[in-house]
Amino acid sequence: MIRPALSLAKRELVRFFRQPHRVVGSLAQPLLIWAFLGAGFSPSFRAPGMEHLSYAEYFYPGVLLMLMLFAGIFSTITLIEDRAQGLMQGVLASPAPRMAIVLGKVAGGIAIAMLQAAPLLLAAPFLGIPLEWSGLAWILFGFLVSCLGFTALGFLIAWNMDSTAGFHAVMSILLMPMWMLSGALFPLDHAPTWLWALMTVNPVTHALTLIRTPLYHTPSDFLATPAYWNALIIAVTWAVVCLWLALWRVNRVEKGADMPA
Amino acid sequence: MPPEPTSPAVVIRQLGHAYRATRRHPPRKALDRLDLTIPSGAFFVLTGPNGSGKSTLFKILCGLTRPSTGTIHIFGHDLIAAPRAARAAMGVVFQKPALDKYLTVEENLRIHADLHDIPPALFRQRLPEALAWSDLGERLGERVETLSGGLARQAELVKVLLHQPALLLLDEPTAGLDPGGRLAFLATLKRLQKKRGVTIVMTSHLFAEAEKADLVAILRHGKLLALDSPTHLSRQLGTEILVVQGEELDTVAQDLTRHAGLTLQVQNHELRIQGESRELLALMAELLQTQRERIHTLAIKQPALEDVYIHLTGRDLFSDEEEEKR
Repeated sequence: MIRPALSLAKRELVRFFRQPHRVVGSLAQPLLIWAFLGAGFSPSFRAPGMEHLSYAEYFYPGVLLMLMLFAGIFSTITLIEDRAQGLMQGVLASPAPRMAIVLGKVAGGIAIAMLQAAPLLLAAPFLGIPLEWSGLAWILFGFLVSCLGFTALGFLIAWNMDSTAGFHAVMSILLMPMWMLSGALFPLDHAPTWLWALMTVNPVTHALTLIRTPLYHTPSDFLATPAYWNALIIAVTWAVVCLWLALWRVNRVEKGADMPA
Repeated sequence: MPPEPTSPAVVIRQLGHAYRATRRHPPRKALDRLDLTIPSGAFFVLTGPNGSGKSTLFKILCGLTRPSTGTIHIFGHDLIAAPRAARAAMGVVFQKPALDKYLTVEENLRIHADLHDIPPALFRQRLPEALAWSDLGERLGERVETLSGGLARQAELVKVLLHQPALLLLDEPTAGLDPGGRLAFLATLKRLQKKRGVTIVMTSHLFAEAEKADLVAILRHGKLLALDSPTHLSRQLGTEILVVQGEELDTVAQDLTRHAGLTLQVQNHELRIQGESRELLALMAELLQTQRERIHTLAIKQPALEDVYIHLTGRDLFSDEEEEKR
């Protein structure tokens, strides 16, 4: 179980680094969005209660999250072609447990996402955010939980798709809005009620709390607040549910219909 | 669990598979109560036109789909109830490449070994043997995308040999290979069967490949049309076939009905006459005398499996495939 899963995870990493356009593309997109939106909105951004924040700083955790989520989700897109023609055919016909396929793919996706998002943490001091080692550890933990849920979700979507075009469609109508409504782009507090409700039930909102909070508070402070625990419980539950659904789906082998008379 | 030496490699009983109805098509039976036993150590070829059910059977055998009804045992292990033991005894070569093209040959082989829980030391020990027959020895460090079609096929086979399967399942493994590559690949399979006693089960729609097998099964509409050795199947036809091409062949055939003991078929502008070779020679002379103006060519040929198919179904493969498409 462990050997096949580790092998599949390692494969994800090797593949990633052998396709330089993927490395450049997945790093460049969030950085460009951050640079353009940060520069464009900073002069006019005055969120009540956050007057001291520039938009580039407000948007920073959102960009980190975007990198994590999208790197994780994009790593699962290869499943679509891989299953019809590619390595995954052999994996499915092997005696390796199918759980190893999910764990390997998800662990590989998380590793890729971490490698991309971690260097961006170096930008924190330049934004005037003093980052301590303990805070850093909690941010990485937030990365892990949010990326786990979304990579597993990506897996689940990719497994049910026959074409990458379908996957991109789901990305733009489901996953992109989930990220936009997480508080990454604008604060939750003063949004209209309907939007506020959507944002509150959105698991990405809570994943963002796991990343934003340790940037500004010490662990001893935020671990004493119910707001952080709320977010943690929801994000972990989301991750576990997505992972469980992916496992369930992979274990379900297509079965023939009832024989016509 | 090691395979039981006395069990046949594959035992299929009452296997049925249907595809669900869609908005445009009613439910379709792909396999219809199929019974089939493949003895251990055989070179077995499964053939039939497109849509005959051979791809469905292959998908079920390698565990990608569960059948609607019936049972399959691989060396005595129930494939549906205990798939892991059955899969451990099988090596599967798919029609479409099952290698990661961004990885090197060796990296692909290592992943396969990991999937079969083969520790690194054992992998290194087995690698030379799995590679010995191939031309890949010098190219282990190269990416799969740089290999030719023939070499990539070899890599697929080396990969599945690593876990030393007792049964090799191959789906149209020679598709896309040039004739030389095809012959070399088949020769390798033959050698594996002879030297290591590996049971080979491959699908093919090339009758020329089926003629190299010990046993051939011909499927049609999800049922077994014939199961025998290629020699026996060919013998069913009588010894030879006289093929006549020309005009008004129905009239020619009508005229020949006065000869007793001949089987006559008019198909695709060809009249095929089966009979003893001496009888056919006499008939050839007669046709040249009496029907010269209607005949363009005359040829006596040895029956091939394709002729068996035509004999059994009264149709050629091409028209059967056309019908399936409709």
